[in-house]
Amino acid sequence: MNKKWTLLGGLLASIVMAGSAGVASAADWKPTKPIEIIAPAGPGGGWDLLARTVQKALTEEKLVDQPVLVTNKPGGGGAAGWNYLKGKAGQGEFLAANSPLILQNNILGKSDLTFKDFYMLANLMAEWEVIAVKADAPWKNGKEFFEAMKKDSANMHVGVGPALGNDDHIQMLMLAKAYGVDPKSVKFVVYPKTASEQIPALLGGHIKAITISLGETLEQVKAGKIRIIGVSSEKRVEAIKDVPTWKEQGVDFVFPHWRGIQAAPGLSAEQKKFWDDTIAKMVQTPTWKKALENLDWDSYYQNAADYDKFLAKQDEEMRTSLKAVGLVK
Amino acid sequence: MDAIFHNLMLGLDVALTPLNIMWVFIGGLLGTVIGMLPGLGPATGVAVLIPITYGMNPGTALITMCAVYYGAMFGGSRASIMINTPGDASAIVTCFDGYPMAKSGRAGTALAVSAIASFVGGMIGMIGLIFLTEPVASFALKFGPAEKFSLMLFALTATITLSEGSILKGFIAMGLGFMMSTIGMDAQSGSDRFLMGIEDLRDGIDFLVIMIGFYAVTEVFKNFGDLEKQYDVDAKSIGKVWLKWSEFKESFMPMLRNSPLGFLVGVLPGAGGTIATFLSYAIEKSVSKKPEEFGKGAIAGIAGPEASNNACSCGALVPLLTLGIPGSGTTAVMLGALMMLGVRPGPVLFEQHPEVAWGVIASMLVGNVVLLLINLPLAVPLVQLLKIPQRIMLPLVLGMGFMGTYFLNYSSFDFILVSVSALGGFMLSKLSIPIPPLVLALILGGMTEQSYRNALTIANGSAGIFVEKPISLTFLVMAVVSLIYALRKHKKSA
Repeated sequence: MNKKWTLLGGLLASIVMAGSAGVASAADWKPTKPIEIIAPAGPGGGWDLLARTVQKALTEEKLVDQPVLVTNKPGGGGAAGWNYLKGKAGQGEFLAANSPLILQNNILGKSDLTFKDFYMLANLMAEWEVIAVKADAPWKNGKEFFEAMKKDSANMHVGVGPALGNDDHIQMLMLAKAYGVDPKSVKFVVYPKTASEQIPALLGGHIKAITISLGETLEQVKAGKIRIIGVSSEKRVEAIKDVPTWKEQGVDFVFPHWRGIQAAPGLSAEQKKFWDDTIAKMVQTPTWKKALENLDWDSYYQNAADYDKFLAKQDEEMRTSLKAVGLVK
Repeated sequence: MDAIFHNLMLGLDVALTPLNIMWVFIGGLLGTVIGMLPGLGPATGVAVLIPITYGMNPGTALITMCAVYYGAMFGGSRASIMINTPGDASAIVTCFDGYPMAKSGRAGTALAVSAIASFVGGMIGMIGLIFLTEPVASFALKFGPAEKFSLMLFALTATITLSEGSILKGFIAMGLGFMMSTIGMDAQSGSDRFLMGIEDLRDGIDFLVIMIGFYAVTEVFKNFGDLEKQYDVDAKSIGKVWLKWSEFKESFMPMLRNSPLGFLVGVLPGAGGTIATFLSYAIEKSVSKKPEEFGKGAIAGIAGPEASNNACSCGALVPLLTLGIPGSGTTAVMLGALMMLGVRPGPVLFEQHPEVAWGVIASMLVGNVVLLLINLPLAVPLVQLLKIPQRIMLPLVLGMGFMGTYFLNYSSFDFILVSVSALGGFMLSKLSIPIPPLVLALILGGMTEQSYRNALTIANGSAGIFVEKPISLTFLVMAVVSLIYALRKHKKSA
């Protein structure tokens, strides 16, 4: 029996080797030079952290044979790094971190790049968006807050950063609309340095609320200095168990601030398969899971096919709400 | 008070382990070297270090990163003094007097003053960080957009009125700086401004590129005429890196005066080392008995800003440790690295991980001493650079300048920008239009504009907010007073 199988195996192998050597070697494409993960921003931001977390997981779990490098290519709200990636067409050793900005840049007319210009490899993680007020503010939930805004929007300034047209801004616009407040009447104060300016501004009483991702506020919530009135997740978030989601508050609104990873355009089917498999393995590793936990990120893994559908839907939704306030002509 | 000392002892216990001392030393040395190279700032240094910190416990990791941050602060001014190329924005001011001192053969003195002033500033800043964190952090919260706008306006007028030559030329320089700062995408509306069809300008003009052009490359142009000339260097005094008693006395008060100022400015959200150093320079020049020496090699012109800069970097840690929000690019990198290690700086850090929080503070005290010990001997080989003939030195400076430019954004477009600004800087110096107001306006322009708009948004369009807020009003009055003072002085001298 054993001998028979060995024989058969040997036969099969020789057929494969003789018949289609090219296919056989391509079927297990592997990176042949160091892998470069592009963080399309300076060190320290969300993209940089994601790129370095992927680097750590790929290296420590020995999922790739080649060294993994992270390069920072800031500029154009990510466009500089993504353009660089676009120039690496057909090369499987180049990846880049991304976020909804790849949609928003195009929607706002700042960049010709779209997600369709790349192989959108996988969505990886999500942070959730919140609206936060000072701990001693009178508004306990979305309804009270937006009622107050309806009455006196001139005194209900909302801090947003680094620029209009991002996820934080869009969350506020969509919520305002859902609660029956004219999105155009919301008074936004723009803080280019994001949380490092928004949180002191809120604590100092210069603005009434901030629209921001949850992680930036967590320490202040723990210290009892600010209160979150709603979170954009599907289910309640472990770190802030007392805070109801918008859905629980009766508004049909779930809004992840996701980040994922994309590869260069023009990859072969084998290259795509290598990365699909590798990333699918990576998100199951303890190193990856532990890193997400440390960073308070929720896993939001979508494989390439699901990610593509998801992006098309998000693109549509964002275009609609930014059109409503005149940011998109 | 007892609690503070108890905690400090706990911290020293952590900081004084041989392993941590070793990392402070390595980090400090690495930071000094990185800080010396134009274009490579502390943020890059800390980012490079992140993979090394994976295996460390959080305390050691943070201690090492702080040492790099700190070392870069010490190192940043070395290049300013030796080759007129500031390593980062907060080292610009050190060029004003440090480079003239080096040219006249007093590089050793300049390096010693800057190291000692950095040390004193760092120590006073640490004392502030240990004892004043709470009250200072709550004071900083009062700073809204109106206050920030007025502070920046004051820093700008102070710089104009104290620059050489006519006030009108100072205003021209500031105007140019503001105009350049408006190029690029506008944060408020998201629309592009003044791109002139050049896509690469969308992110705005990086002031560090302009600085390298204006200072380092322009200097090469200026010296091109006399290649054979050696610096007027006294071979005997060249290796002497210490201060005479009279020089020490001269630098003592400026250090003491400007350290608290730097610390306070550092705590304010988004103000940072640039404002601190420029303000200190302006203050030193206005209180000096010999203001004519400023720009030609005044010791106080180095001591004040250097002390202020290092105190400022301590101040910048206050928002990181108390609010968990980074006050600067470097602290943002540190925050990210710590989170990967599972420690979140913030209001509860001191309760949950006192050994980390206080270990870091104590290690910075140790680090300060270590850095002084690194930097004084390091100055000895550095001053030997002056022996290199101009015909070899100038191409080196040019090469360093272009290399540093590329490291900033990895963009070849910046080469064009640095060349254009070098030519511009040469023309401005021929027209005796002062550079400092231009650079400061370029750095602060975006922030000034956004603070102005935010203040008006919050006040629903009423400009009264700038005079209704007492802190803001104070700065505005100071700005007006400094302007009147300068106008009268110029009238007298004319």
